[in-house]
Amino acid sequence: MGKTPVGRATAVALAATVVAACGGGGGDAGDGKVKLSIGVFSDFGYTNLIKEYQAAHPDIEIEQRTVKMEQHHTQLATQLAGGRGAADIVAIEEGNITQFRQSKDKFVNLADHGAKDLESQWAAWKWNQGTTDNGNFVLGLGTDMGSLALCYRRDLFEAAGLPTDREEVGKLWPTWEKYLEVADAFSAKLPDKKFVDTAQNVYKAILDQTEEGYFAKADDSFIGDKNDKVEQAFTLAASLGEKKQTGALAPFSQDWNVALKQASFATTTCPAWALALIKAGAGDEASGKWDVAAAPGGGGNWGGSFLAVPKQTKHPKEAYELAKWLTAPEQQKRIFKETGNLPSEPAAYQDPEVTATENEYFNSAPVGQIFGNSAESLKPTYRGTKDSKVTPVFGNALSRVETGKQSTADAFDQAVREARDAVK
Amino acid sequence: MTVAPERAAGRGTTSAPPPAQRLSWRDKLGRLDAKFTPYVVIAPFFVVFGIFGLYPLLHTAWVSLHEWQLIEGDQGFTGLANYAELLSDGNFWNALGNTVSLFLLSTIPQLFAALGLAALLDRGLRGRAFWRAGVLLPNVISVAAVALVFAQLFGRDFGIVNALLGFVGVDPVDWRAETWASHLAISSMVMWRWTGYNALIYLAAMQSVPKDMYESAMLDGASRWRVFWSITVPSIRPTILFTVIVSTIGGMQLFVEPQLFDPGGTATGTGGDDRQFQTLVMYLYEKGFRLFDAGYSSAIAWVLFLVILVVAVVNFTVARRIASKG
Amino acid sequence: MRFTKAGPLAYAVLVVVLLASVFPLYYSFLIASKDNSALGDAVPSLVPGGNLIDNLTRVFDTVDFWLAMQNSLVVAGTVAISNVVLGTLAGFAFARLRFRGSNSLFLVVVGTSMVPTQLGVIPLYMLMSDLDWYGTLQAVIVPALIGAFSVFWMRQACEESVPYELIEAARVDGCSVLRTFWHVAFPAVRPQAAVMGMFTFMTAWNDFFWPLIVLDPNDSPTVQVALSTLASGYYTDYSLMLSGASLAVLPVVGIFILLARQIVGGIMQGAVKG
Repeated sequence: MGKTPVGRATAVALAATVVAACGGGGGDAGDGKVKLSIGVFSDFGYTNLIKEYQAAHPDIEIEQRTVKMEQHHTQLATQLAGGRGAADIVAIEEGNITQFRQSKDKFVNLADHGAKDLESQWAAWKWNQGTTDNGNFVLGLGTDMGSLALCYRRDLFEAAGLPTDREEVGKLWPTWEKYLEVADAFSAKLPDKKFVDTAQNVYKAILDQTEEGYFAKADDSFIGDKNDKVEQAFTLAASLGEKKQTGALAPFSQDWNVALKQASFATTTCPAWALALIKAGAGDEASGKWDVAAAPGGGGNWGGSFLAVPKQTKHPKEAYELAKWLTAPEQQKRIFKETGNLPSEPAAYQDPEVTATENEYFNSAPVGQIFGNSAESLKPTYRGTKDSKVTPVFGNALSRVETGKQSTADAFDQAVREARDAVK
Repeated sequence: MTVAPERAAGRGTTSAPPPAQRLSWRDKLGRLDAKFTPYVVIAPFFVVFGIFGLYPLLHTAWVSLHEWQLIEGDQGFTGLANYAELLSDGNFWNALGNTVSLFLLSTIPQLFAALGLAALLDRGLRGRAFWRAGVLLPNVISVAAVALVFAQLFGRDFGIVNALLGFVGVDPVDWRAETWASHLAISSMVMWRWTGYNALIYLAAMQSVPKDMYESAMLDGASRWRVFWSITVPSIRPTILFTVIVSTIGGMQLFVEPQLFDPGGTATGTGGDDRQFQTLVMYLYEKGFRLFDAGYSSAIAWVLFLVILVVAVVNFTVARRIASKG
Repeated sequence: MRFTKAGPLAYAVLVVVLLASVFPLYYSFLIASKDNSALGDAVPSLVPGGNLIDNLTRVFDTVDFWLAMQNSLVVAGTVAISNVVLGTLAGFAFARLRFRGSNSLFLVVVGTSMVPTQLGVIPLYMLMSDLDWYGTLQAVIVPALIGAFSVFWMRQACEESVPYELIEAARVDGCSVLRTFWHVAFPAVRPQAAVMGMFTFMTAWNDFFWPLIVLDPNDSPTVQVALSTLASGYYTDYSLMLSGASLAVLPVVGIFILLARQIVGGIMQGAVKG
C-alpha cells in the first residue's frame, strides 16, 4: 500500500484542518539521543540486558514494548500495512515468520549490515528459518528455540505400573507407534486418567519430524492432500482421540491449565518454553511429580523467535547492532539462566553452564542436556509460506475427533478440503 | 432556495419594497439563523463521520474489488470475484447462520426481560435509585472483562455452571464444543450485559406516559397485565423501536464475546473446532488479520453491512407492527 | 405503573436480578483474591482468598496503571463531554428544527452505525499514520468525538421531552436557534443527556480493539491497553488479569454510583413534567 490514494490525501487534509491544534509528536527525543524501540511478546528476558546496553551506549535510549503474542503479530501486520508505528526491532515467532517472509520488502535486509558474517553462530536450520531468497535476504536473527521433549507425570506412571526413571521412560517410546502402545497400557490400568492432553500437539510433533509437511520443499506447492506423511501423522494422533486417551484440551488454554492442576493427564509434548507453563499450571504441590524424557521419533523443535528490523525504522544500523548484541551467544546464555528460554546457538546450548542446568521442579531433570540433545538430532521440516493458514485447520479436525463429532477419516477429508481452500 | 432574493433585499438594490413588509435586520438574521444553524449544528457529526467512518468504508469497498494482501497491498483488480467467491463459501453461510442464531437467542428474550424489569422498576419501590443502579451495573463492565469472567463460569472442568448442574444431577456440559451450548453461553453474556440497560431505557420512556391514561384505564377496571400491554407498551413504541434497532446493529456485529470465548482466542480461534460459534465479524477478522486476505475480508465487511441494513429494516417493520397492535 | 406499590414478589424478583448482576463481578474479585492455581479446583469456592494485595501489587509492578487511568480519564471524559454537547445539538436539530433534507440526513446518521467497525481499521490506521497521530491520545479521541448513537439518542430525547409549543414560544420571542436550544431544549433533556454522557464515557473507557492497535503500550496506554499488557505472557495469569480488570472497573463503578443518583433524580424530574 505504498501509493497514497487521492481519497486518503483529501481525508488527511480535512482532518488536519479540523484539528489543526493537534499533530506533531513522534520522532526522536530532543536531547540528540537515538531512541530505539523493541517490540516483543511474553518474556524475552531483555529487561536487564537493555539496561546494560544503554549503560554501554549512552547515546542510545531503548524502550521495550510487550504485548500478548497473537496481538503482537496482528499489530505488526497492521503497522507494516499502514507503513508506520512498528518498533525499530520486532520479534517474530517461528510459526509466523513464513507469513512475514512473503513481505520481506517491508523489512531491512540484515545482510546489508553484515549479518551473513554471523551465520555460523546458529544451528543451520535456525539460521535458514530466518532467511529467504536462498539465504541472500536475512530477515531475522534467531533468539531462542523450543526444541522438543516429552514431559510425564511420575506418580501416574507409577500407578499405571510403568517405569518412572526418565532414561527408561525415553526407551519406552523410541517411535510414536510405541508411544501409542504405552498409551494403551496406561489406559488399561488407569481408565479414569487421560494419557495425553491433546491429540493436536502429538500431531504437530510427529509432523514436525518429517522432512516435508503440507508444502513441497521444491516449489512451496500444497501437498498436504497427497503427502502420506500428513495422513499417517494425523491418523496416529487421531487414534489417541478415538480411544478417548486424550483430554481433548485446547493447547495452553485455561482448561489445559486446570487439567494440569487436577493431574488429569500423564504426558504432554514439551518444548523448553513449556516447562514454565507446566510449572505455573500444576502449582507447587506438584513439584517433583513431573519429569522430562526424550521425545519419540528423535529430536524436534517447536517455537522460538527471531528479531527483525522493519524498513520503516529511522535507525536501521543502530537497530541491527542492538539485535545482533541481544542474539549473541553470551546474551542467550544469560537469558537461559534468567528465564529458561533455550539458546538457539550451539556455542550457547553446548556450553557446560547450560548443559549442566537442572530443573528442580521437574525432579531435577537435566533440561539443558535433554533439550540440547533433542535440538542436535533434529531433522528440520520444511515450512511453506502458507503453513500458518493450514495448521489450524488440521488442529480443528483433530479436536472434532477427540470430542466424538467425526470419525478420523471424515475429519481428515474435511480438513484437506478446507486446507485446499485456505491456500487457494 | 430563497437565499439570493434575500441577499438582494439586504443590499437594498431592489427598488423600494413596501415599507410594511420590510424586514428588520433582526428578522433577516433570524431567518438566516433558522435556515443555516441546523446545518451548522449537525455538521460536526458529518465531518467526523466523513473522515473517520466514510473514508475507511469507501476505501474498504475499493479494497474489496481487488486481490489485496494485508501487508503487501494491491495484487490486482478482480472486480466482483471476492463477492462471487463469498456466495459459494460454506464458511460464510455458516457464520451468517451463527450470527443470526446468536442475535435471536440473545435479543428476543433480552428485550422481553427488559420490558418486564422496567415495569417492575416503574412500580412504587423503596430505594429506587439503588435498584436502578443495580440493574445497570453490568453494562459498565468492559466486554473483555465480561468475557474473561464468563469463560471461568462456563469452564468444562472447573466452571461454576457445571458445578451447579452437577448438584442437580446433570452431566457436565462442554460449553464450547456443542453448538447449542456455545450459543447459549455466549447469548447469556450478551443478555447479562444489556438487559438492565434496555430496561432503564424503557423505564425512562414509561415515566413520561401521562398518569391520567393509567387512571382512566384503572377506573375501567382493566387488569394490570392488560393496562401494561394496551397502554404502557404502545406509549413507549418509539423507544422499543430504538432498542430493537440498536440491538440489531450490535447483535449482527457480535465479535468480542464469542472470540474470547474460544480457547484459541484471537490467535487461532475460529469459533470452535467446527466453527460452531463463528460470527461474521469473527470470520472477517480471521480472513483479514490472520490470513492477511484484506480483499476478501473487505468483501465480507460490505456484505455484513448490507445484511445489517436488511435485518434492521425488517426488524423495524415487524417491531412497528407488533408495537402498534392492541 | 408507578403509583401501584410493589409487593414482596416484585422485591424478590429484583433481588434475584441484582444478584445475577453482581455475581460475575464478585466472581472476578474472587479470582483476583486467590492464587492463580486455585482456579483449578473442580468445585470453585466462593470464599475470597488472601492474595488480593499481592496480586494488586503485581499489577502495579507490571504496568504503569496510574498513567493508564489518567489517559483513560482524559479520553473518556473528552469523548463524553463532546458527545453530550454535539449530540444534543444535532439531536435537537433533527427533532425540532425544520430544514431541507433533515429526514434523509437523519437516515444517513442511522445508517452510519451499521458500518462494521473492524474492517475500517486498516484504512483508519493508515490515516492516523499520515496524520502522525500514532501513539497519541487524539487518535482515539477524535474519531469518537461524536457518534451516531448520541445523535440518535438525543433526537429521541428531544422528541419526547421538548414540546413544540415551547420552541414556537421562544421563536415568537425572537430567540435565536442556539439560544432556544440552550434555554429551552437543553434543560428539558438534561437527564437523558446525562445518561448518554455516562454511556459514552463507559464505552470509551472500555473500548480496547482500536486503542490496542493505535496506542503505544508504554507511552500512551489506556486502562484496557494496560490490561492486555498484563496478559502478555505465554501463560495467562488469570488472578493477575482479573485483579487488573477489577481495578479498571473501580473508577467506572465509582463514577457510575455518583451519577446514578443524579440520573435517577433527573428521570423523576422529567416524569413529573411529562
